[in-house]
Order: sequence, then structure tokens, then C-alpha cells
Amino acid sequence: MSKNLTLILTLCLFFVGSHQALAKTFGAGLSLEKTIAVSELLEKGDTYVGKQVQVQGMIVDVCQTRGCWMYIAGDKPFEKIRIKVNDGEIVFPLEARGQKAKVEGVVEKFDLSREEVIERRRHHAEEKGEDFDPATVTKGETFFQIRGTGAEIEGI
Amino acid sequence: MNWRKLNHALHRDLGFLGVGLTLIYALSGIAVNHRHDWNPNYRVEQVEMRIAPVPAGVVQPQQVQQVLRQLGESKISRPYFQPDPENLWLYADTRMIRVHLPTGRVQAEKPVKRAFWYRLNFLHLNHAQKAWTWVADIYAGGLFALAITGLLLIPKRADLKRRALVLSLIGLLIPLLFLLASD
Repeated sequence: MSKNLTLILTLCLFFVGSHQALAKTFGAGLSLEKTIAVSELLEKGDTYVGKQVQVQGMIVDVCQTRGCWMYIAGDKPFEKIRIKVNDGEIVFPLEARGQKAKVEGVVEKFDLSREEVIERRRHHAEEKGEDFDPATVTKGETFFQIRGTGAEIEGI
Repeated sequence: MNWRKLNHALHRDLGFLGVGLTLIYALSGIAVNHRHDWNPNYRVEQVEMRIAPVPAGVVQPQQVQQVLRQLGESKISRPYFQPDPENLWLYADTRMIRVHLPTGRVQAEKPVKRAFWYRLNFLHLNHAQKAWTWVADIYAGGLFALAITGLLLIPKRADLKRRALVLSLIGLLIPLLFLLASD
């Protein structure tokens, strides 16, 4: 009797454990076998522009209004990369913040003037309902982002 | 049963059968059309707090634990991230807690699902996938059949016949003119 009970409990725990570890697929899912480090992508971004890549890491922020972008933490301090998806095609849930993810997409490069940076930051501040002071932007920016095609997110 | 009666019966029954899905797709359609103005799936509750300031820089796990204790978090281990030396982002359940270290200013955000709209959008945008894709495809086929059987509901009276023709033409011209104007 107690043997059966132990077996049932073990199976239940296994089921719960495996269920929680399951990743939810978004968009086209994943097709590449190899991931690259976010730091590698940020340092040598030019060599990856236009190429399909896969990165993994913790989701540190998600678009609050449309779920149309998220940031994945890098492997070095203060590093993160933006994953942008077409509005409505993929919607990242807000509960994904703090969860681990693997994401695939095509690397894009942006060379923004100071005015464009101001416009972009103003837009992001509006989305979050935060104040924004254009004087804090003193120059243009060059950055890389991934145009996301698919993702697997754990724990949601 | 002649073809008119059969067509009418088919149109009527398809209409009844699709009433639930039509309402879901219509309401969710309006909701997601305006997603630039609101988040149709969540509302975000925000709480502001203050804790003792923490020196800026790369925070150590012990410092994170101290911050969590001050915030009254039951767990002393939570995922965290630093976007820059002055800010610390903590993740607790579905909440995101932003701490500005030098001032101790804390902003906690908790997403709350809009129960009704979330479920509607879940189905409309086919986030359910799998079997729901079949349901949605069959519904799309049903809408197609509804449109065709609707067109074939040609009235016998001449004035109503003209009215049916005009209304159908307007219905076809609206998307066509829009496409022409947007080219």
C-alpha cells in the first residue's frame, strides 16, 4: 500500500517538475542548434548583421503595451539585447520577465542620430508612463537588435 | 426542398452555429486593433517604495539579499539584473521590481491579466494553436459559406433585389477602394 502511494507521489512530483520545466513556444520556434553569447553578438555585431542567430538568457524586460519586444540579459554585467517582433505576430507575455528563454531571429543594426534616439526614448518612456528629459541624450547611437522569428520561454 | 430553401436554411444555421466565435473574433478584433492605446491582455499595477540607498556598482548577491529583506520579500533568492551600475531589476513571481540604488527609490510592477479580454485574444490570435487552428480554419470556411449563401439570398421583389445588389457592391468596394488608396 505504502509502496503504491510512494510511486504515485513520485509520479506526481515528476509530472509537476517536468511540466514546469517545459518551455512554451512562440512564433516559428527554434531551428538552430547552436546559441551564441550575447556578448559575442554585441562585440562583433557587424559580422552577424542579416544572419539568423540564436541567443539564450534571462528575459529582463518586456513591452508593457503590446508584448512586441523583450530584452535578454547578456553574459557580462550590464549587457542586454533587444528582441523585436512584428506587432501581433508574436506577443511576449509580461509574466515572462525573470524567466529563461532561447530566442532566434535575424540580427539588425541601427545607426540613429541624436534626434532619432530622443524620439525612440520618448516613445519608450510614454509606453512605460515615465518622464523623459531629451537633454539626457547628447549624441546618436549605434546598436544591434534581433528581429525575432521564434522563441522558447520556460516557466510560463 | 428547392435550392432557395436549402440555401436559406444553410445560411441561417451557419449564422447560429458561428454566433459564439463571431462575437469572440469581433470583440477581440476591436481590442487588438487599438493595442497602440492600451494593452488588451494586461493592466499593470504599480507600487512605489523606498529602501536604504545602496552604493552604485556591480551588486553582490549579499546586497541583493539585503534589498529583498528591506522589501519584505519572503524568498531571499530571486533572479536579478543590472541594466547599469545605478539600477537593479528584481523578479519576484510575475512582478518586476526596479530599484534605483543611489536613492533607494523602488518601483514595483505587477501585471494583472484582463480575464475576459485575455481569453478572447488568446483564441482570436490563435495562441492556443494545435486543435484550435482546426476550429479557426473550419470557422473561416463557415464564414466563407455564410458570405456565399448570403449572396444567394436573392429576393424575388425587384426593389429588394436592387437593394441587395447595391449593399453587396458597397461591401466589396470598401476594401477595394481602401487597397487602391493605400497603394
